[in-house]
Amino acid sequence: MVKAVKDASFNVKDYETVADMVLPGVLIQCDASIKAIINKIDSQYHEFILEDLDDEAVIIKESKLAELKIKLKEALKDTVREAEESGSD
Amino acid sequence: MTASMQALEYLEQQSGATLIKLYRQPSSALAIFRRMLPHLAKNIVMAMLYMTKPFSDADLLAWIRPDALVEKDQAMSVLERLHIISKVHDPPPAPTAYQLSDKFAKSLRQALTGGGNHRSFGVPCSTPDPDKIDVENLDKFARQQWEAILYYMVGSAGGMQMGLSQGASISDGTKMLLEMGNFVERKGGRPIITQTGFSFLLQEANTQVWSLLIVYLESADNLQMDKVDVLSFLFTLGSLELGQDYSTANLTATQLQMLDDLSDFGIVYRRDNQAKRFYPTRLATTLTSDAGALLTSNSTLRSALSPTGSGNDKGYIIVETNYRLYAYTSSILQIAVLALFTRLHTRFPNLVSGKLTKESIQRAINLGITADQVISYLTAHAHPQMAKNTPVMPPTVVDQIRLWQIEGDRMKATTGFLIKEFGTQTEYDDTWKYADSLGVLVWKNDIKRLLFVSRIEQLSTYLAGKKSKARAA
Repeated sequence: MVKAVKDASFNVKDYETVADMVLPGVLIQCDASIKAIINKIDSQYHEFILEDLDDEAVIIKESKLAELKIKLKEALKDTVREAEESGSD
Repeated sequence: MTASMQALEYLEQQSGATLIKLYRQPSSALAIFRRMLPHLAKNIVMAMLYMTKPFSDADLLAWIRPDALVEKDQAMSVLERLHIISKVHDPPPAPTAYQLSDKFAKSLRQALTGGGNHRSFGVPCSTPDPDKIDVENLDKFARQQWEAILYYMVGSAGGMQMGLSQGASISDGTKMLLEMGNFVERKGGRPIITQTGFSFLLQEANTQVWSLLIVYLESADNLQMDKVDVLSFLFTLGSLELGQDYSTANLTATQLQMLDDLSDFGIVYRRDNQAKRFYPTRLATTLTSDAGALLTSNSTLRSALSPTGSGNDKGYIIVETNYRLYAYTSSILQIAVLALFTRLHTRFPNLVSGKLTKESIQRAINLGITADQVISYLTAHAHPQMAKNTPVMPPTVVDQIRLWQIEGDRMKATTGFLIKEFGTQTEYDDTWKYADSLGVLVWKNDIKRLLFVSRIEQLSTYLAGKKSKARAA
């Protein structure tokens, strides 16, 4: 571990190789059921997902996070019914 | 995030030239050293302060316990990013060595031992002020101004439209700043608090001041103000003495302009715009120290903003197992904060009562407030009677608030970086272990050899080091 910092002979190329390995974005962690909805939303618009990781994780574009949340909420509204509040105080 | 971390993060983004310019001023060097460096970094800087020659990495390693290598890497990485320490580039086979930046070392030495006529620690007025303001009134002024800013932010939320009967009003400049910092959004002419705004509200005062000042710094360029000038002045303010009046005579034009804005935040006090002297308030003098700010830690809205301002730091909230909430307060600001996540229905002269409902909590969550923030706010401000309970908050209520959050928010989003295409299993294993030890590892998949980390700077240095070693081998 220490050697990495100690080694002064970094060269630009090594940094470039590393930059190729790195993908900035937003990691979404959720249940498989929600993941399926996200995949469905993406299949309609093709502009959210950067990298599909597994059944419970996916990388999306940072700029699209808010939009995805809204779309997900809309999708859930159709499937999940909210219980009514009792309203008594 | 604490105040110092926030300021540190801002500084790390600055260019080397800006930082070196900043280090010319002893008070800046001292403030950064004292307030922002990790402990180990402080020790390293102190040890190197009077060294005349570069200090070799091997010698440095001899001081570090083998189990603290991660801390050492972190400390060196912070110091290098702040351009306080640099590697000496002697041609191999000379060993890697470090040296302190000349400017930084000189300023820090000057700050510690005195001397020079840099005046960076402020120039007290030579003549006594005919009507001097005392510390108590300075605190009152600072509190009033800062409260006005907070109230401007919350007053807009939760549908509470109470007249701003108390405190001061804030200037248009400050309002614009709050919008630029994305603390409030203007919708239909009315300011609405945002997610960032609410997190801001729950921070302790010192952190709040820095958050706002960082927005101010970012806007300084647009206002034709010199960033270095602005930063230097803030660090100077942090080293001034409370209750002392200082002369405006040796300030630059930028700094004079700043005085106007800062007095609007309650950071400095001036009798009027033409006054030849200014007083730093407690908000200023605690900028670069650990001492409790005007508003002691974790009680931001409690002690400092109590309606009487008498430092009443007792809790005032009672939550019952049936989700009912009673708050013994008459402070409009406190009520407005509660209204963000409670359905309030009755207000008495010294008490408001309401209920935590699914709808009110989820509304708060939509604003970006987290369940944990709500719970910690309620716990921190629990009435002494309730605070006797262990745990303080009824467990049913705590669990329900969390469940309401999960229901509304079905996915967890983390901004950061995916690292993929590892060459070998060892490279993958070493990297995730290193990331984990740095505390930046968020997610990993061993089968696909994928990592997700919240910060990348140190890791990419680490990875590039590994690559070049692999190449050499």
